[in-house]
Amino acid sequence: MNLLTVSNLTKRYRRGGKTIAAVDDISFHIEPGETLALAGPSGSGKSTIARLVLRLIEPDAGHIEFEGNDFLALSGAALRQRRARLQMVFQDPLAAFNPRSTVARLLDDPLRIHGIAARAERPRRIAALLERVGLAADLAPRAIHEISGGQRQRVAIARAIATKPSLIVLDEAVSALDVSVRGQILELLLDLQRQERIAYLFISHDLGVVRAIAHRVVLLEAGEIAECGDARTVIDAPQSAIGKALVAAAPRLNRTRP
Amino acid sequence: MIALASIRDLTVTYRRDGNEVAALKTINLDIGAGERLAIIGESGSGKSTLALAIAGLLPASSRIEGRLDWFLPSSPSSGAKAPPSVLPDISPPRGEITPSFRLSPITEIASKELPSKLPISPLAGEMSGRTEGGGTDRQPKFVPLGGRDIGFVFQDPSASLDPVMAVGKQIAEVAYTHLGLTWPQAYAKAKSLLERVRLPDPDSALRAFPHQLSGGQKQRVAIAAAIAAGPKLLIADEATSALDTIVQAEIVALIRRLVAEDGMTLLFISHDIALAAELAERIAVFRHGELLELGPTAQIVDAPTQAYTRTLLDAHIGLDATPLLNRAGLNA
Repeated sequence: MNLLTVSNLTKRYRRGGKTIAAVDDISFHIEPGETLALAGPSGSGKSTIARLVLRLIEPDAGHIEFEGNDFLALSGAALRQRRARLQMVFQDPLAAFNPRSTVARLLDDPLRIHGIAARAERPRRIAALLERVGLAADLAPRAIHEISGGQRQRVAIARAIATKPSLIVLDEAVSALDVSVRGQILELLLDLQRQERIAYLFISHDLGVVRAIAHRVVLLEAGEIAECGDARTVIDAPQSAIGKALVAAAPRLNRTRP
Repeated sequence: MIALASIRDLTVTYRRDGNEVAALKTINLDIGAGERLAIIGESGSGKSTLALAIAGLLPASSRIEGRLDWFLPSSPSSGAKAPPSVLPDISPPRGEITPSFRLSPITEIASKELPSKLPISPLAGEMSGRTEGGGTDRQPKFVPLGGRDIGFVFQDPSASLDPVMAVGKQIAEVAYTHLGLTWPQAYAKAKSLLERVRLPDPDSALRAFPHQLSGGQKQRVAIAAAIAAGPKLLIADEATSALDTIVQAEIVALIRRLVAEDGMTLLFISHDIALAAELAERIAVFRHGELLELGPTAQIVDAPTQAYTRTLLDAHIGLDATPLLNRAGLNA
């Protein structure tokens, strides 16, 4: 059974008297433990799809089925409860989190709100979460703005996995990281996927990264699906014009002795 | 290599919360006239501080030590209006077209704190009386002026462009200020620059405001403004990092073309070693405020001497990289 099934999803914006379909009749699915990448140029609808799937915005048409339920029909307490299973990590954790919050507070929130651990037990759970994402437990009292970008993204991942999600939406989650840190975060994501069988909706403009970590890819252009399939098959031999353009534009490091 | 600029023992210190942080530590670097030089590094490497130091854009609170000598050929830009407040005693031989490259040591950064009245002009040091590069100590001092002799393209054009001024005027005022043109001439120049940076429909683009343009189009406008006065040096500081891959490739191609057509020197600051290698002839690798390694691109890419450079190269995830994903492992 599919974990997530998106059918005929459409989102229109009005801009300057004109109506633009940011997402136009898009359908795709994600299986448990699978990474599906959404790739495409700016304005192709990647982030709008992420926001629709997370129900941060509401679609004009279409269906979203998550873990066998009509996700768009949920509201109130039922939606909050289900959201624990569907987490998110954004590009800039400093923008996503209160910068004055401590690491401990950020990890305490989901444990408290979703009733995952009693107050007395939470410090131990927070330490375990930090350890799970490769951070030292003594980072807990630090302010989020004091720690490095890579550490901050690990905290964002720890917060996402605190509620034991089956799907995490990663919107350009490694794009702003230094390259030496990016590889470690990708390894962490793959390790979590192996251990916890978490599925990822991985949004990126970087085809090299997509090819390295995704099972399947959907290439988007102007709100529509240009091409989709096995990540390496599509990227190694793109058929669509936008796929060819994305591949041609990727920087290449021509090393004779790698 | 004929040097355009020579940096000696450049140390830049920022004061933050009462602490002094060295952003650059005794940097020695020559920028060749007409070369495309990439400065590579991760966050905190000092690469942007170097760009700002060269452009004279460091904040007044920073402490700058060392020398920065320029070897600009005598400027043929006749009729240029040099703001007298910025260039008090400077009278370079304007109007005198010198076909041969007469190199003259022009400025230095004196080992002293900047006067707070000149926050963006750290290059105006005292005459040292030193003789270098074939020039003499009787040469008139010539301070490279940001916007005229140095064009700067920043990462975020939304932040560097004025949001409430039509883009045509933003480009035209560079030409008006530095080239001594009338406003109609400056606007004509702005239109031809918009054509050069391949903005569709330059006539209506002149009247457009930044928010009406896409990110790539805004960066084209920023580049047009940066080259409007015909600078010798173009500095692009992460100028393509906020753009998607396709637009990034277009902007890199545009920079390459403009630099070649105008004979500019390019300083390309980037975190992306693959992108830099496609564009630059030489690469300088920075880390923690130090220049670790400098060499021709092929040498840096194929035979780096520093382990850190190798780490950066290995961290590049290209379209031919071995997938991190072990499907068998994951699907088991």
